[in-house]
Amino acid sequence: MQDHHEGPRLTKIGRLAFTLFIAGCGFGAYKLLQRDKSGTSTATPTTQATGKTSITISYGSEKKRWLEWAAAEFPKTPEGANTTVELLSRGSLEGARAIAAGTDKVHGWTPAGSLAREVFLSDWASQQSGQPIAREEMLALSPMVFVMWEERHAVFAQKYGEVNFETLSKALQEPGGWGNLGGKPEWGFFKLGLSDPAKSNSGLTTLALMAAHFHGKTQSLSPADVAQAEFQAFFQKLAKSVTGLSPSSGSMMKEMILKGPATYDCLLTYESVAVEALASAEGRWGKLRLVYPKINFWNDHPFYALNAPWASREQRQATEAFLKFLLSETAQREALKYGLRPGEPSVPILGQGSPFKNLTASGLRVEIPAVCQPPSADAILNLLTGWQRAR
Amino acid sequence: MASSFRTILRNDVFFMKNTCPNFGSPTLLVCCLLATFALLGCKKSTTQPASPQPQNTISILFAYGSEKETWINQVTESFNSAGRKLPDGRIIQVKPLPMGSGECVEQVLAETGKPHLISPASSVFLKLAEADSLARKGTPLLKGDIETLVLSPVVIAMWQPMAKALGWPGKALGWGNIESLATSKEGWAGLGKPQWGPFRYGHTHPEYSNSGLISILAEIHAAAGKTQPLTLQDLAQPNVAKRLEAMEQAVAHYGSSTGFFGKRMYAAGPAAFSAAVLYENMVVTSRNEPNLPLPLVAIYPKEGTFWSDHPAGVVNRPWVGAAEEAAGRLYLQYLMDTPAQQTALALGFRPGNVAVPVAAPIDAAHGADATQPQTTLPTPEATVIRGALDLWKRHKKHSHVFLALDCSGSMSQENRMGFARQGGLDLLRQLAPEDQVSALPFNHTSNDWAFQGLSLANSRAPAESAIDALFASGGTALYDALAEAHEAAIKTGSSGKIAAVVVLSDGADESSARWTLNKLLQKITVTAERPGPRIFTIAYGANAKKDVLTRIAEATQGKSYTGGTADIRQIFREISTFF
Repeated sequence: MQDHHEGPRLTKIGRLAFTLFIAGCGFGAYKLLQRDKSGTSTATPTTQATGKTSITISYGSEKKRWLEWAAAEFPKTPEGANTTVELLSRGSLEGARAIAAGTDKVHGWTPAGSLAREVFLSDWASQQSGQPIAREEMLALSPMVFVMWEERHAVFAQKYGEVNFETLSKALQEPGGWGNLGGKPEWGFFKLGLSDPAKSNSGLTTLALMAAHFHGKTQSLSPADVAQAEFQAFFQKLAKSVTGLSPSSGSMMKEMILKGPATYDCLLTYESVAVEALASAEGRWGKLRLVYPKINFWNDHPFYALNAPWASREQRQATEAFLKFLLSETAQREALKYGLRPGEPSVPILGQGSPFKNLTASGLRVEIPAVCQPPSADAILNLLTGWQRAR
Repeated sequence: MASSFRTILRNDVFFMKNTCPNFGSPTLLVCCLLATFALLGCKKSTTQPASPQPQNTISILFAYGSEKETWINQVTESFNSAGRKLPDGRIIQVKPLPMGSGECVEQVLAETGKPHLISPASSVFLKLAEADSLARKGTPLLKGDIETLVLSPVVIAMWQPMAKALGWPGKALGWGNIESLATSKEGWAGLGKPQWGPFRYGHTHPEYSNSGLISILAEIHAAAGKTQPLTLQDLAQPNVAKRLEAMEQAVAHYGSSTGFFGKRMYAAGPAAFSAAVLYENMVVTSRNEPNLPLPLVAIYPKEGTFWSDHPAGVVNRPWVGAAEEAAGRLYLQYLMDTPAQQTALALGFRPGNVAVPVAAPIDAAHGADATQPQTTLPTPEATVIRGALDLWKRHKKHSHVFLALDCSGSMSQENRMGFARQGGLDLLRQLAPEDQVSALPFNHTSNDWAFQGLSLANSRAPAESAIDALFASGGTALYDALAEAHEAAIKTGSSGKIAAVVVLSDGADESSARWTLNKLLQKITVTAERPGPRIFTIAYGANAKKDVLTRIAEATQGKSYTGGTADIRQIFREISTFF
């Protein structure tokens, strides 16, 4: 077994940054985000001349449609009548850094997962003062899911039995492409898409799921698990074969719908993103099939009401009110329509109109076989470093 | 896809390295590339500032790839008419500026037109520009979300009867079929259709156009007999070069614009091209052409193809403030909304809004198939693309250009002769060593050849000296000179080269003794039964007979240009992309 201390060496500063990042994610993303120094800060809306209070919410693209609905509906409620809600789409890690740096002067922040929370707190501590989070709540839950075109999934399943990281790796290595997998030669080579682990929460989660699958482990992955030679051989081979990388899960799914099986045969994304895509895909290229990894991971879509110096008292109150609206039964039922599992326990996941009732034919299901614990900080560091080396 | 775009980007940088030998840094190379696209892509001046706006309006400049000009014009007109407002009450007015995709991004990089929004035809250009922006300014080119406005795959456009002869629509066709037809000595006769003559194929110049680059990569895939990523070893195979050269022999001519091939096919029919590499939307909208000789269909190559995906975003520069960004995003949202997307669909584009299904006219009735393409070709590494372009340059269909230059006395005015000489020299510089050139200066009395059939591999200097020594005097015997050049080009036509006449004239024919316009048109007119050399005409200066020169160019399926001393060199450079 390889000693994980024999892995890639980092500078002291790099190590420090990684340590902060690893509380949830990866230094690669952190570094990448540092390049965005255009200096054009996103101005915080202020109380307008009309007497209305304007707030801005930074959010992950996977919740776009639900939050757009909420931003439109909230002002129609008595609590939101004097509030306008602006939305700012940001990757989870991108949002963390931009808020802490004060370039995104927002009042609420809702990334895909709470892994970015530690990055945010660390950055905030070094660039701002005080406790930045006034209140935090989990809005919804989403596991990860493989998405394949139904026609091609049938051929894939015939060949390999099931979709998992091992069979995907085999398909990617197949020199004859689909012709040798039992499909049509004109389908070309098997093409797998992932969110870039250096940029997105879902990309990093994917790397962790690869390791969890390989070791069949639901307990927290250790650096030794990641450094194991057999796993590294499997991981490097798979990483080199991935066909396309996208900056976010939302943009990757959109590309799959727009460009069809010509561009991606399969990708791994949030369950909610896949649910939203099902109808659109059918209007373009045909049906999609969802397949859950045997070991999965929960993304918990936290909402952080911020205690930022640029927020007025009215804006803080409006943000709290907006959060309360998002957790209301009405909003939670609406979230369910977009494939987000309600964070409010009183809203049943199998209620009327729920996609979890209506889309079972596509593979959508409530039960998740097994969920793994978050990997250790060093394990994530090694996964990301290995990924970057392989690519 | 990101890595694919980066590869293309590096390739574009490479291309400039080969054509701009004094440019060493990648940044400068990128600048050169973008400038080239700017020169080639657009003749319209788009750099002038917007006219002053009333205080209650905010003006947004939108620089975009001209492939979607019809759609953008329609939806922008309705957007502007709707009087959409910012929260501060200002009415948003968008000024669309169609141009080449390279120029779209160059306007931001060079800070010339200072657009607030841009949308080139392909993400390739954005990736290219983002890299350059970071290198030059240390800041991204665009900010916030980037929208895919519309999409269209690259296809092989073919006349329906010809596609049917190959087995369409039941049989999957591709680049391999193009190779078979292009390399067959029998042409269409080999498929029992001798009346269709030789297989005539068209793609754009790969050093100037994305679809041209895609075409030669696809041809090399076919020549190498593989759909996996190409390698340098593949390019080194003698058989690959041989097969590429054989395929290129079917090319009628090259060009800088994919749109040109579409228009040429619509107008001239199978006599001009049996097939050309176009975008799907061009095939779809061809059905609206009033005089389309036959229906066109899209062949989605079974080996794979590429997408044109029209990305759009807000420019990340100081001239784009919060108000401009807000106004620009409202406009982009308008373009993404269902009504505008349905307008795009009606014009043959696949909607970028995933909620709008792909439907008619992306259907069989319009020569398209919404379930295609089924796969894409892998974009090779930059070194391989570099090698592919080198290979193509050596094995492309070479040319014999007959340059007929008006040297009548009027050419001495405004130094027209001097600029024409420079243009002619520019044309020579763009030609390959394997190309040949002949020059016929003419006035009222003389039509002696300055030189004939010089190979540029070993006679470039004498050819340039002869061009540089031309001077103006006497009258104009345009028809006699053209007949002479055309006759010489016919004799060359069977030598496996692209034979074409380039004629520049600044006045009316007043001295021809042997040929009239009608007689000349009878002689040069190209038909399916009587193919002949193309004539590219330049109506030079205010007194040039544009109508006459246009008739001459159209009779030969060539192209007519109008210019003056300010743009004559650019015109010559654009003509060079056909060879």
